[in-house]
Amino acid sequence: MSVLSTGESLSAGVAEVLSVTPAPPKKRRRRSKGRAVLAATPYLFLAPGFILFAVTVLYPTVQAFQMSFFDWKIVGSAASEFLGLDNYAKAFADDHFWLALSNSGVYMVLTVAPQIIIGLAIALLIQKKSPTQPLFRVLFYLPVVTSWVVVSFLFKFLFSDDGLINFALGDLLQITNGDTAWLADRWTALIAICALGVWKGIGWSMMIFLAALQGVPQTLVEAATMDGTNRWQRFKVVTVPAIWPALLFVTVMLVIGGFNVFVSVYLITGGGPAGRTDVLLTYMYEQAFNNLDFGYGSAIAVILTVLVFALSVVQMRVFRDRNGGGAL
Amino acid sequence: MKRSKVIAVTAVAATIALVMAGCSSAPESEGTADEPVTITFWGAYGNGGNSAQADVLNDTLIPSFEEANPGITVEYVDVPYDDLLKKLTTSAAGDELPDLVRADLGWVPKFADLGVLVPLSDEMDNFQELADATFPGVLSTNLYDGKYYGLPLDTNTRVLITSQEALDAQGLDAPPATFDEFVAAADALTDSGVQVFADGGLGAWNISPWIWSGGGAVTDDKVTTSTGYLDNDKSVAAVQMLVDLYKDGQISNGIIGNAGATSTSEGLPGGNYANILDGPWMNGIWSEQFPDFTPIYAPMPAGDGGSVSVVGGEDIVLTSTSEHKKAAMKFIEFTQSEEFQMALVPTGQLTVIKALGDKQVELLPYLALFTDQLATARARVAIPQGSEVDTILNQALVPAFEGSVTVKDALTGAAAEIDAILAGN
Repeated sequence: MSVLSTGESLSAGVAEVLSVTPAPPKKRRRRSKGRAVLAATPYLFLAPGFILFAVTVLYPTVQAFQMSFFDWKIVGSAASEFLGLDNYAKAFADDHFWLALSNSGVYMVLTVAPQIIIGLAIALLIQKKSPTQPLFRVLFYLPVVTSWVVVSFLFKFLFSDDGLINFALGDLLQITNGDTAWLADRWTALIAICALGVWKGIGWSMMIFLAALQGVPQTLVEAATMDGTNRWQRFKVVTVPAIWPALLFVTVMLVIGGFNVFVSVYLITGGGPAGRTDVLLTYMYEQAFNNLDFGYGSAIAVILTVLVFALSVVQMRVFRDRNGGGAL
Repeated sequence: MKRSKVIAVTAVAATIALVMAGCSSAPESEGTADEPVTITFWGAYGNGGNSAQADVLNDTLIPSFEEANPGITVEYVDVPYDDLLKKLTTSAAGDELPDLVRADLGWVPKFADLGVLVPLSDEMDNFQELADATFPGVLSTNLYDGKYYGLPLDTNTRVLITSQEALDAQGLDAPPATFDEFVAAADALTDSGVQVFADGGLGAWNISPWIWSGGGAVTDDKVTTSTGYLDNDKSVAAVQMLVDLYKDGQISNGIIGNAGATSTSEGLPGGNYANILDGPWMNGIWSEQFPDFTPIYAPMPAGDGGSVSVVGGEDIVLTSTSEHKKAAMKFIEFTQSEEFQMALVPTGQLTVIKALGDKQVELLPYLALFTDQLATARARVAIPQGSEVDTILNQALVPAFEGSVTVKDALTGAAAEIDAILAGN
């Protein structure tokens, strides 16, 4: 499973980058033994976590990178043939790799914006203290904590030929004739998978935005109100800049999560029909664990890692520039 | 670059190598009363929460073997089927495999290719004798690179299963026995709301019975080339028949991989489908979930090639890391005995021993058809890349069913891709 963990390692990496705060001004320290111990203390506390991270994330990532250059034989005692960049060349020449990549991209595009917009909208709607607020928080957050496996099967059932969606669209609303084979076509199947991604993710972005909204300075809101601004203007000039770091965090994490979609695709369509809904991770999984082509699977994982990392860097640049370098 | 250099850079791999060196120097014991040995055996007998098979193995068969072979203890570990391949893969990576594995047919060439299996045809003195007693179709799944890496353990095949309700709707007494009758049945069902056939995909397990029965083939007998076989006129005609029925709405779109289609196991008793192809295990599933449903079993409809179905089942294989190969081979021999084979028949396992075919039918009459079908049933392409062949067939045939390419072009393309894989072996 080492290859699978590359995504997690990245998100951990991004979280680290995000938590970086400007270093405090350096103070002159007198050299003494007590001071040295004190200086080492944080590292002692960090060590257990870092060791765990190195063993479960860093090592497998390096191993996957290494495996991607071989026709990797899984047996410890067998000789693996060194292929150089062949696995990468194979990926770039492989139509199905590009299909899987574009499906991952489609999933990312179709899930990120709705999760941000709807999550923020709900956060704005329920941010006012009221007796019903905890209830709404729990209700919207419920999908987030539900098992991916359970909700994947739920959505498979909803979108099946005799499912609730067809019943609703056909018998109840009479928009269609109720016989759409959602999961038989690449695009309609992707819609079903994306719908699950959005439904399950809204609660998460809502919670982040709710927390960020607490930090919007009320004095600024009041000042803007005094200046005669309307709600939309206040949202644009006060709220958005105040929650900018949260927006960046949510966007980066959702883009990473979008490219790492796996469980829902694997369980709802299994990549079918004929592999047309394969995303990068289901394709990687099939190459590694069904075809036992670990070298090629690792190459796909490495490409995904590089892609996600590059995208994250680009996003952080863009956000920082737009915010005049203040947020990070 | 050899593996040895890679080991040099990974401390963990080096540790594994050390452990292995330690293992191989251990003296091999046959397992006697003085020197007891324990052999481990992994399988998925208890799959699906159905403990009947695992119970027979643990409570009856293993004690019986241990009694007959003092000094040998068999430790059976049940692994859910879906996890078994993954567990075997990771265990192979750590050189921590059990002695014996009940492996799905398709995995044997895969693991033989990885070098983790012992070629039984070289190592077992009485291999030929044991092999000759088994059905040839299922035995052939153990053949890899000229050697046999396992012996058949249990088997199954797909036959045509029909519902009485569907026959009544067509005014028929018996399920379609030939391709022509199959097409006629479809015509009779037009506008009845019942589809003539359903299946869950277009891999070798699904499509081979139609191609073989139509007189075509997926590859030549020696599995060296697909071009000229998969795309010959007979193969094309057999697939074309299905495609035409599909276009007429007579075959469920589950066949092209619609995960939302009513499954075959529910659609047949539910009256959605008139015929499906499935195995002997369905009897147990239906008797629990649809107690009012009585399946009608019939041979695979015959075309120019006769009535030919596909072999499924499991083989028993011995791993190369086993420290007790002799004791393990004694157990393998035991699995081929009448006692072992017949004890598992009531739990839904067909025997692999030709001579026991009649006996199992006496035990469970509904197995008669499966036993007959096995006589001509054939194995899927037995190469390490069997799952890649399935992918190729699926991806080539789905557009043909959808009508965006001709069947001939789809099969020609698939044959070329399969050739590329075969050439690499």
